[in-house]
Order: sequence, then structure tokens, then C-alpha cells
Amino acid sequence: MRCSVCDEELTTPLGCAKCGTLHPVAEHPDPFALFGLERRFQVDQKALRKSLMRFSRLVHPDFFGEASAETRALAERNSSQLNAAFGLLSDDYRRAEHLVEALGGPTSKKVRDMPQAFLMEVMEWNETLEEARGEPSPEALRDLTKLHFSLQSERGHLIAAIEGQLTPLPEHSSEVLENVRRQLNAIRYIDRALHEIEELRLERASEDKACPTSNSTS
Amino acid sequence: MPYLELDVLNNAAAPIVGIDLGTTNSLVAVWRDDRPVVLKPEGKSGRIPSAVHFPPTGPPIVGQKARAHALTDPRSTMLSIKRFMGRGLKDVTEDLETVPFPSSEKENGLIQFDVGGRKYTPQELSALILRHIREVASELLDGANVYRAVITVPAYFDDTQRQATRDAAKLAGLEIERIINEPTAASLAYGLDQRKEGTVAVFDLGGGTFDVSVLSIEEGVFRVLSTSGDTHLGGDDFDRALVDYALERMGPDAVKAAADPAFLQGLKLSAEACKMKLSSSGKAEFQFTSPDHGISWRELITRETFEELIDPFVKRTLDSCRRALADAELELGDVDEVVLVGGSTRVPLVESRVSEFFGRKPHTGLDPDEVVALGAAVQGHVLAGGTREVLLLDVTPLSLGIETMGGAMSKIIARNAPIPGQATEGFTTYADNQTGIDFNVLQGERELAADCRSLGRFKLSGIPPMPAGMARVGVRFSLDANGMLTVTAKEETTGQSASIDVQPMHGLTDGEVEVMLSESYEHAQADFDARRVADLRTEIGMMIRATERALGQAGDALDRETRMEIEETVALARSRSEDGGLDEVQAARDRLEQSTLPLAALLMDSVAKTALTGKKMGDV
Repeated sequence: MRCSVCDEELTTPLGCAKCGTLHPVAEHPDPFALFGLERRFQVDQKALRKSLMRFSRLVHPDFFGEASAETRALAERNSSQLNAAFGLLSDDYRRAEHLVEALGGPTSKKVRDMPQAFLMEVMEWNETLEEARGEPSPEALRDLTKLHFSLQSERGHLIAAIEGQLTPLPEHSSEVLENVRRQLNAIRYIDRALHEIEELRLERASEDKACPTSNSTS
Repeated sequence: MPYLELDVLNNAAAPIVGIDLGTTNSLVAVWRDDRPVVLKPEGKSGRIPSAVHFPPTGPPIVGQKARAHALTDPRSTMLSIKRFMGRGLKDVTEDLETVPFPSSEKENGLIQFDVGGRKYTPQELSALILRHIREVASELLDGANVYRAVITVPAYFDDTQRQATRDAAKLAGLEIERIINEPTAASLAYGLDQRKEGTVAVFDLGGGTFDVSVLSIEEGVFRVLSTSGDTHLGGDDFDRALVDYALERMGPDAVKAAADPAFLQGLKLSAEACKMKLSSSGKAEFQFTSPDHGISWRELITRETFEELIDPFVKRTLDSCRRALADAELELGDVDEVVLVGGSTRVPLVESRVSEFFGRKPHTGLDPDEVVALGAAVQGHVLAGGTREVLLLDVTPLSLGIETMGGAMSKIIARNAPIPGQATEGFTTYADNQTGIDFNVLQGERELAADCRSLGRFKLSGIPPMPAGMARVGVRFSLDANGMLTVTAKEETTGQSASIDVQPMHGLTDGEVEVMLSESYEHAQADFDARRVADLRTEIGMMIRATERALGQAGDALDRETRMEIEETVALARSRSEDGGLDEVQAARDRLEQSTLPLAALLMDSVAKTALTGKKMGDV
């Protein structure tokens, strides 16, 4: 793709590195395209961060402080699209979900279940979480740490499996997509559980150090 | 803002200043000679107390002088206004105890203080401070017209608090080029000063607010990874803890007297003085006298006692640090440097606890009071097109969403999402032929809408009648580079855009800002008129005295008609100068001058004559 103003080869469709022109893009652009990437599951995160910084220097509103209101608005828009795309590409779950849906696969509303093998584990994990929510005993805390590790390791396996199925990208509306969707549902469960564990840990860390006479922690 | 455009001549040189609008003190900085500098009068501190004093007559007094009045005349002085910005009465009950003015709340939760019959919102009070800062800056910049500014807010300020700050700036006649977060501004000043890269945690404890931000600095890009904090935690709370301790020690009379806001405010200032002494010595005297209540008290406070009192607050800051690290997905060991910002980090316990927590000595090379304003000036320089070397990539501190059926909070933008940012979420109707949907825009981390802060409500109307669940309403949240939210909605099957009218909670509508602006202009005019009338009154008094003396000397030489005319105008000037408006007093003065011209001429004559005859003026 080339700049419509100076004909320079564009590194991102959002703006030109040579002449500084901002280019408007569609309302829901392809996040891969904004970063000049091919559509695929694997994304080099370090390179992605570098690109974010490089492209931000082209489109961020801070560099259009003295420009017209119209140009400033475009900078806001392009910058937020760049950030939204970065958010998606830097998150393995959202990246996979995006690919599944872009390839005509089911949404989480259509296919709601998880892989069968996963269900037994979920029941066990729920029990541990339930216990940890109650009185903070050293055992519960230890169990929580153990659970944290097993969830993370399970998540790693699922991501590796998804990566395998999405590389190379399957055919449009392929049956594989349904399977990936189920695995994504499992990841969603794990992420929620990991989030809850983190919350419980933060709460505990705060309580551990709380001063017994303190009454102003509200 | 018509009066802004009066000074077009200075526009070319109009600098973008950086303003740190603080709870206790404010500062203003500007980019000069390749670096940011805090504007300060020769040999003095750049700190401008964020205080407003209302004298019995005349315009409000702001800054150093107002702060001095807080001690001598606490009943008409307002402090810590920032704590009320974008808040409702129930959010600030404890802070209200030291406010010497009655407070009330408008329908949308906007606080108003009654100052001798005139109502002031926190926005207007902040505007008085900002206006004063403008004047100070202009003076220190050789009269340049200062009207463009980067203004800083606590990173943890929510949308209503940011809006309130923006409105205050508008009321002060400032064009806000950018609102940036205080810890991010500090990191900018730090990064430029130290020329270092890596992961930095900025710990910013001010007079009333606390922020912690974790950033990565790489190739001149300052990317915020996470931020956390508390907009109601700061040095004010340390003072308050000391006040509570003192009250307990002083006994029941003092506790009773504490119902008087002026008493409490005075006590708080004494506590603050004691706190500051405790930062540099192991013990300090807490000294307080209130002639009004017949109370005089002093006690030696040890640092140990003080630290016990403030410990719970310091612990809360560490909770936020844990949260910020977790959100950034970092471990303690990943942090390369800790930067201390804000006057309250001078408290030794704060510094030692932060060191202990991060396992490293914090960087204290920069003046913790100045670093935020300096960073804002750097950002002003960037916005003015002065450099492309540095770039701030900031985040939104709190999640944003919409209340869904059943009172749940449905997140649309998660906290720590980069700004500018946007996200769209689909909603649908729940009843057949429903033509409108009410939206409640929320900010916060809790699951229930009732536990989050409502930013405002809007209604999407004009949805074509269709079965329940068929309409496709896309609600788009856009966060601009200032971290401020705009919500738009569209029914996608018909393309019907929503007529959105968000009623800001605890805020001002654009219309109200306009009205206040014109009122403040009128006030400025009224103040100007009052001064002019006072000057004219003095002038008329002098003219009448001179005329009466002259009449005694040379009056007999005047014809009857002229003499009567003079006596008449003197009487008129006398009465007009007592109760007349500017125009009337001015007219009376002019007429007096006119009517006394013959007398003056006569006098000149007689002076000439006496000179000729060798007589002295007084002998005539």
C-alpha cells in the first residue's frame, strides 16, 4: 500500500512515515492489517510492541497539537484504532477469537460448552476456589498457589493446541473452528478463575499486613 | 470567551504552560532554553497555595495571601478544593467538616458552597485558583498572555473529576491543550532528567490524592503499563489523623468546639505544621490556640506516635502498589527504579515503607513538589510541536461500561486500556416493539452497577418497532488522549443514530459553563467598576475640598449664576458619589469639573494679580 499524498510505501495504513499524512481507515479495520502483519495466530510480541511505538509516533494526537481540528480528530481516531488493534493482537485469547470469528467460526453465544475432558477438572478447581473464598487458612492459601500453577499450565496447553489448529489457518467455516471455540471457552473459564485468585491474593496480602488497631481502611 | 481575544498581539508568543493544580499547592512551569522550568518569583518558591479567601468586600483573594488568611480568618477561607471536584456531598462528608461555608447539592449531585449568599461550585473555586495561576505566570513571563495549558490530574481521577477540572479551566479562560496524569507527567520529567530506560514505578502521594503508575521507558516512549491509586488519600489524611489524636488529648471542650469548621480548620493547619516538623526531627511540638473557644494547647509529639497514627494510610498505598504490579503483570524484581513524587513522600515513614516494599531505595533526585509541573511543561512543548523525541502512551485508570438488565455492570473498556481508545458493544431490546433504550454509563471495577460510579444517563430513541431481541444497538465508547469519554450509539439494522444527551453527574453542562463564563465576565466587570467608583469618589472628595477653598478665596468675584451652578454641582457630586453607579458618579465628576472652570480661571487670574501686587495668596 502506498501513501496517496507522497506515494511512499506505507508501513501502516494509518499514516505515512515520510510525509506525516494521516490516512482514514474503515470503522472496523483488520487489526493485523493495521500493524502490517499477515493474518495468523503467531505474533512476535516484542516486534508488535516496537511497531506500536513506531506507529504511535506517526499517529498520536500529541504530534498534531497545532493541526486543524479535523486532523486532530483523525489522529485521535487512528490512534485509538492502533491501540485497539494492539490490545487484540497482544492478547492470545482475543487474537484466537478474532481469527475464529473472521473465518466464520461460531461465537461464544453459539457454542457455549467446553471440551469434555476439561469438565472434571473444572469441578475440582471450583472446590478449591470455594474453600479459598472462606476463612484464610495457610492450607487454603497453599492450595490456591497450587491451583494457580495448574491453571496456568493448563492454559499453556490449550493455547498450544489452539495454535496448532490455527496454523496454517483452517478453511473458512471449517469444523476445526468449533473445536477451537470450545477450547477458547475453557480458557475463558481459566482466566476468570486466575483473576479471582489474583483478587483473593491481593486481599490476603492487604489483610496480612493490616494493623490490628486500624479502622480507616474503608 | 471574547475577552481572551483582546490580547491578539501576544498570540504568537503564547506559551503552553504546564499547570499542576494540587490539593494544597499548585505550580506552573514552562519550557525555556531546552528544558522545563518552574515559574517562581525571584528567590521564592514556585508553590502557589490552592487557597481562596473571601474578604468582606471586593473580589476573592487567591494563593499566598489567601493561605495566610486561613489562619487569621478561617471563617472565610477555603482550602483543599480539589477533594470536592466531581464529587457529591456523600462522597466527602469528612472533608466538609473543615469547610467554613454551608454546602448544598444540586439535582445532579453537584456541590455548591454558599459564600455570603453567592453560590460557588468546586469548579468555580478551582477556576479562581487557575485564574490566579494565569496571572502569576503572565507576570513571570514578562506579560505574555497565558491562556494555553497542559493541566495535570491524578491518574486515578475518574471521568467526572476530569470533566470538572476541564470545566474549571474553561471558566478560568484557559484553553486546555491536554489533560495528563500526574505520575505520568512526573515520569516524563524524570526520564528526561536521568536519560534512563527501563521499568519505572512512580509513587505519587500528594496533599489529597495518591497514584501509583508503572511505566516502561523505551526509545523516548513513556508507556504506562498500569495505574492504581486513591483519589481520597494524601497528606490531608495524615493531618486529620493528628487532629483526631489532638482532640482526644485536649478533652471534651475541644471535641465540642470541633463542630465549628473554623476551629477544625485552624487545628488542621497546626497539625500540618507539626507534621512537617516531624519530617526532619524526631519530635515536634503541636501547638494550637483558639481565642474564640478559649482553648490553648500544646504537646510534644514524637515521630513514633505520628507514624502509628498514619500507618493505616501508608498501608493503603502499598495495597495500590500490589494492584498496579499485578495489573502490569510484573513482579517486584522487574521494577528498575522507584520515583517518589508529591510533598507527602517527604514523610520518612512513607519513604521507608516504599523502599521496603520495592526492595530498593527510591530515586529522590528531583524535587517531589516540582516534578509534576515540569513534566506538564514538557508535554506542552511536545504539543506546541517543539519536539518529537518523547511520547506519552497513557491508560485509563478505571473500567468503563453500561448497566445491563438486572443491575449488572457490563464492561466495555477495561481498566489500564491504552488511550486514546475505543470499543463497541452490542445491545438489544428486551420487550416487543420497544422503541427506546435507557443507558446508564458506569465507571468502576465492581460487578454491580450500584457499586460503580454513574457518569450519566442517556436514552437511545427512535428504534423501529420490532420483536424483542431483534434490534442491534451498537454502543461505542471513545476515550480521547485526555482520558475523557464520549459515548455514541447506533441502531444497526436501521442505521438510526441515538440522540444522546448525557447528563453529567456532579458536573456542569456545557450550557452552565457558558452561563458561568459570562457571569464571571460580568463579575470581573463589576469588580472593575467598583474599583473605578472608589477612585472617582476619592477624586470628587479632593475636588470638592479644593473648590470650597477656592470659593472662600475668590468666590466673591464670581457672578451669582456661576456661583450657584458650582454650589449645585458640588451638592450633586456629593450625593452621587455616595449612592451612584459608575456612570452617574463619572457624570457628576465631569460636571463638577466643567462648572468649576470659571472659578479655576479666576483663581489663575488672582494668582497672577497677587504676584503682581506682591501679596500672598492667603492674604486675599
